[in-house]
Amino acid sequence: MYKAIVIGGSAGSFRVITRILHALPRHFPAPILLNLHRLKHVRSGFVEALSIKSNIPVIEPYDKDSIKPGTAYLAPSNYHMYIELNKKIALSTEEAVNHSRPAIDLSFETAAQTYSRNLLGIILSGANRDGAWGLKKIKDGGGTTIVQDPKECEVPTMTEAALGMSQVDHVLNTQQIIDFLLKIK
Amino acid sequence: MGLSETEIQYFISTIKNHSEYDFSGYSEKSLKRRIQKVIDDNRMDMASLIKRLQRDRNFLEKTIKDITVNTTELFRDPKVWQDLRFRVLPRFKNNKNINIWHAGCSTGQEVYSLLILLNEMGMFDKAKVLATDINEDALAEARKGLYKYRFNIGYLDNFDKVIKENPFNYEEYNDVPYSKYFRINKSDDSLLINDFLKQKPIFRKHDLVKGEDIYFAKFDLIMCRNVIIYFKYELQTQVFQMLHQHLYNQGYLLFGMHESMLGDIANKFEKKGHFYRKKY
Repeated sequence: MYKAIVIGGSAGSFRVITRILHALPRHFPAPILLNLHRLKHVRSGFVEALSIKSNIPVIEPYDKDSIKPGTAYLAPSNYHMYIELNKKIALSTEEAVNHSRPAIDLSFETAAQTYSRNLLGIILSGANRDGAWGLKKIKDGGGTTIVQDPKECEVPTMTEAALGMSQVDHVLNTQQIIDFLLKIK
Repeated sequence: MGLSETEIQYFISTIKNHSEYDFSGYSEKSLKRRIQKVIDDNRMDMASLIKRLQRDRNFLEKTIKDITVNTTELFRDPKVWQDLRFRVLPRFKNNKNINIWHAGCSTGQEVYSLLILLNEMGMFDKAKVLATDINEDALAEARKGLYKYRFNIGYLDNFDKVIKENPFNYEEYNDVPYSKYFRINKSDDSLLINDFLKQKPIFRKHDLVKGEDIYFAKFDLIMCRNVIIYFKYELQTQVFQMLHQHLYNQGYLLFGMHESMLGDIANKFEKKGHFYRKKY
């Protein structure tokens, strides 16, 4: 089934992510790869804030870290986070994409190349269009895609862009996303 | 859609056959993305790109430059610069010289950041600074020391954190004016490094992959920031060995915030925070 879950979000996604991480069991069977836009200068404290309620460890990976199940990897501030074919993290300081670094599109695209149909991609609340293209790549690769219900989003721009770019499998609110994840074996 | 592994390999071997550059040890995903960008920017497909690379020397060189350019900022990761200021550089205060190598300096912002720091610490005159990069265009920009103000405005906060404030003593505040080190011109969106800083470093082209000889024999501090993330493990190991050779015992090596030294060679270093200190 799912070998990895990638989640992208921006403005308004922090509370959603916190709820999701709080709901997942300690031995969740897949890795969670998080790409959350944040202010350039907010470099520390984010992992700690996410960790407070999370049952699984949340880490900002180093380049070439192996991806392990039951762990959440938060793209470090000011780096793009790629997923290499050997299931290791690769970081990059290339220029911003969609005015974002990390860019959700890049993580999603490379994760899709690595995990193809065993990948689940989720786009949450956000104020720009990053992630829409990446979510399409996941769909094209045979993976499953979820978009947070724009009606529930604090800022629906990102989810609406994703819905406009490809045929998304599920549009779910936060609780439904959690229920979906909890069914993963 | 998307370049295949075979196409990437074909690209790498074309470059290898027609230039002195070898990208075979480069990390796949970033290399792939950069090649894709060249293809998109030139509105061509892989086959025509390869043909043009084989025939057009100037285009080949421009492509190599597009692929090897890296981003850098003034005082990126203030915490690291605070450590340099309060934990690392003071150890060299009584030395006659301090030899510094910026390996992969790109457009030079960190070269100037360190010089500013050294100047504030009264160590400017004893520093010898070598700054190298694979990309000659980046080096030319580094020599000019002329940057876009807009891109750097955010990093002036970092200047304040590193130069004006003392994280170990909040009452201390040195109101160092920016004009001491660079001139900001908002109307033409420029930030120009002052001449005395620009005259200090030796900027020189150098490809870490080839392990060519460099001027200074050994260094007290090597900064190699956000360079090795673009290399595969095997090439990293080779680069670590080369950097190790060029360090004095007790010398320091600094990578980017999310880079680390992997493999046996790490045993030859003592890890102190983000710094690697050579044991033997």
